[in-house]
Amino acid sequence: MRESEKKDAVDSEGAAPVTLEGHYERIKAAESAKKGLLARPRYTFRMQLYLSFLLVFLFAAATGAILIFVSHEVEKKQRFLEIVNDYMLEVQQARRYEKNFFLYGTNLSDALENVYGAKTIYAGDEDELIRILGQVRHSQITKNLERYETLLKVLAELERGRADNISYREKIKEIEVELREQGQKMVSYGQELMKKEKESLSETILRSRTIHVYALAFLLALLLVNAYLLGRRILGTINRFSLYAQRIASGNFTPITPARRFRDEFTDLAIGINQMILQLESREAVLVQSHKMRAVGTLTAGVAHELNNPLNNITLTAHMLLEDYKRLSDEERIDMLKDVVGEAGRSKAIISNLLDFARESTSHVEPLDLEKMLKETVSLASNQLKLSGMKIELQSTGYLPRVHGDSQQLRQVFLNLILNAIDASKKGGKIQVLLMPADDPGYIAVKVVDFGTGIPEHILGNIFDPFFTTKPKGKGTGLGLSVSQGIVAKHGGRIRVTSKEAEGTTFSVILPVTTIPADISRSPTSS
Amino acid sequence: MDKKVIVLILDDEPIVGKRLKPAVERMGCEVEVFEDPREALQRIDEKTFDIVVTDIRMDEIDGIEVLERVKKKSPRTKVIMITGYAMMALAREAMEKGAYDFIAKPFTPEELRKAIAKAAEALGTPLQNSVTQ
Amino acid sequence: MTIIAISSDSYRMGREIGEKISKRLGYRYLDREILKEISAGSGISEGKLLKALEKTPSALGMSARDQAVYLAHIEKKVIGEFLKDNVVCHGLAAHLYVLGVSHVLKVRVLSNPEVLGKELAPGKDLSGDAMEKLIGRNENARKRWSLKAFSLDETDPSNYDMVISLNKIEINEAVKSIAEAVGYKKFKAMSYSLKCLKDEETAAEARTILFPRFPDAQVRANGPTVVVITKGMKREKQKKALIIKEMVGKIPGVNFVEVHIVNDILRQAAESLR
Repeated sequence: MRESEKKDAVDSEGAAPVTLEGHYERIKAAESAKKGLLARPRYTFRMQLYLSFLLVFLFAAATGAILIFVSHEVEKKQRFLEIVNDYMLEVQQARRYEKNFFLYGTNLSDALENVYGAKTIYAGDEDELIRILGQVRHSQITKNLERYETLLKVLAELERGRADNISYREKIKEIEVELREQGQKMVSYGQELMKKEKESLSETILRSRTIHVYALAFLLALLLVNAYLLGRRILGTINRFSLYAQRIASGNFTPITPARRFRDEFTDLAIGINQMILQLESREAVLVQSHKMRAVGTLTAGVAHELNNPLNNITLTAHMLLEDYKRLSDEERIDMLKDVVGEAGRSKAIISNLLDFARESTSHVEPLDLEKMLKETVSLASNQLKLSGMKIELQSTGYLPRVHGDSQQLRQVFLNLILNAIDASKKGGKIQVLLMPADDPGYIAVKVVDFGTGIPEHILGNIFDPFFTTKPKGKGTGLGLSVSQGIVAKHGGRIRVTSKEAEGTTFSVILPVTTIPADISRSPTSS
Repeated sequence: MDKKVIVLILDDEPIVGKRLKPAVERMGCEVEVFEDPREALQRIDEKTFDIVVTDIRMDEIDGIEVLERVKKKSPRTKVIMITGYAMMALAREAMEKGAYDFIAKPFTPEELRKAIAKAAEALGTPLQNSVTQ
Repeated sequence: MTIIAISSDSYRMGREIGEKISKRLGYRYLDREILKEISAGSGISEGKLLKALEKTPSALGMSARDQAVYLAHIEKKVIGEFLKDNVVCHGLAAHLYVLGVSHVLKVRVLSNPEVLGKELAPGKDLSGDAMEKLIGRNENARKRWSLKAFSLDETDPSNYDMVISLNKIEINEAVKSIAEAVGYKKFKAMSYSLKCLKDEETAAEARTILFPRFPDAQVRANGPTVVVITKGMKREKQKKALIIKEMVGKIPGVNFVEVHIVNDILRQAAESLR
């Protein structure tokens, strides 16, 4: 303390820069948070969006390809069905001619031609037919056709040699039976083929429909999952950031630390917010400090006057010592010099009290004895009170639990309220400072009561607004109460005011009694 | 009829009275010193002083009040105000209320002696022992 | 044992009242006639001294430094005269530099607009509107001047003990009122107010010495102690302080000079940009 006092004395010239160790710590924390944030693998929302759309597109493309293939299949089946139909027509035609031959003896060559046609058609799509009918049935059909043709050819042979052949009729009869049989078989085989092919077609069409339905359902599921994932990511992050915003608004200036697995657009936002927090914090520190310096400026006038008393004692004593040196006894001289030393010490005490308060300090939270602190604050303002000829009463109910907080900042709040009370009071008035348990359990109230002019009701709601002042221009910044409220809010407390015009005003600072330190400089928020 | 000038010095700072008493006595005055304004006022009620030297800012009673009491009791008494809180408004107030002189702290014994000598002269009892050092 | 400092928007009116009061009370009367004496003592021409009392410094006209020097000389002389007591002073801006001295009765006399209009625009017959404008302009100019020279608003009534409007009160009544006010005990001189005046004189003398070299210096005196605050850069601090101490230390009666050099942020910034 002695060291820093010396420093103050040396650095008294010029505007002091605002230094706050807590702030530097915060800068470091923000730096490491930034590093941490940037170290995450990059997976942006844009990437996720592209990826999900690509997935959907790929799926749609695959579905499309399958459907094209299926429709191609259907087409092929239909064409084949037509071929089978042609084949059937040929076969049926052959059989009609065959019938005609046996009835009228005509058209045998036509029938042969038809059979030949059927054979050609059949042979043309042999592979496909084998696939559909199977090897066994295929060879049966081939045999059947061959046989039918052979029989027809035999018939044609017989027909040519009809004149010289006696057993022509019998032979025809013989052949007719087999030919019919073979013809029957041929037709039934054809019908079987047709039926099979139809079944296969309808099966393919059904499959295509199923694929359609499933593809749609799957697409829907895919889209839902996508929307869910993306939404959860976005909304979750937004929620987190709104929590950050609330936290910052309540005065907690801890930087945002990485909490998510990936680096994305919100990472940039987090880094920006951290930057903003630092700015805000240094602004706030400047504001609090500059407001404190204003209070110091006010107090200086009182101190300057109060200093005149010890100075006067020293002046008088020194002059009398000079004047009477030879006439005085040693004891008397020593007594006088002791007075000078004592008064010099007193002067120093008067200033150091103010210097202590004026000194910039780090935010330091500790258990506080409010009564002791209020006594100190009252003594800090005592010269000011003397200057305006006022009396101050400090009353405490005693036996109060301690609160946790920053003594410098809280002192600033109480001093500000006392100085305000002095301004509001008439010359020669009285101010009461009361320390008592608050109405809510777990809270302590510090009340600063004046019996001055009071605050008109219509502006009572505005007094905590920044830049609101009723003092004449150049006398108040209108920031005192706003800054005070900020400090008290950081301690988890609040300031209340009740006022009656021409009767006085009571400001109550309500602070929570904490068993766990209310950490106002750093709170372990991992976000 | 060489009557002594009677002076009362009142200041809640004990050193002021302690040092001023010999300084003023040397001028040939009779000096009474008080630290407590109540006691001083009591004494003023009992005895008429020629000159009263009083501090202004004192805890119990204001020096201006002392001035008024003195003037009420004995208008011819010269009152010299001494204060660390010297300001134009306060000085004018004191003068208006009948102070003879107003001296800002810190002052030298010589300054006060000059003021006392002047007051004594104004009272028609000039002091013989002007202290020269 | 009192001093009367009169300030008026019309020099003629102020003079008339000042002279009448001095006659009535038997006080000495002081006005710009004394500039001759100051000129002889300081070597500054009377015209320049007069200009310092009337004109605001500008780029083309008188520099702020010159004005400060001239005004310091006037201040020193006038306060010297005040210390001789029983003085009526007018037109020397005394009301601005002895503001805190309790035995100086500061009076503001507001003249009749017609009289003022004639004085401001002699020989012209102005209409009511033009006159009002002229008077308003004049008042603004005085306000600017006083703020620049002494950081006080000459036209602000709260800087006076008494404001008299000749529009409402006759000259003789005004003289009577002022003479009566002088009799108030509160305007009596005392050790404290004389000391204040003496301190002002010492400070004014220090200013006459310092201003030619350090026009931005702020000077205050308290008994034998003089406190000087001026701007400067780190490296020249000690040298500057020594020079000032030596200059001011020469004044008789001064035994201690305290110098504060405040960091000249602007100049430092300007030099670091170079």
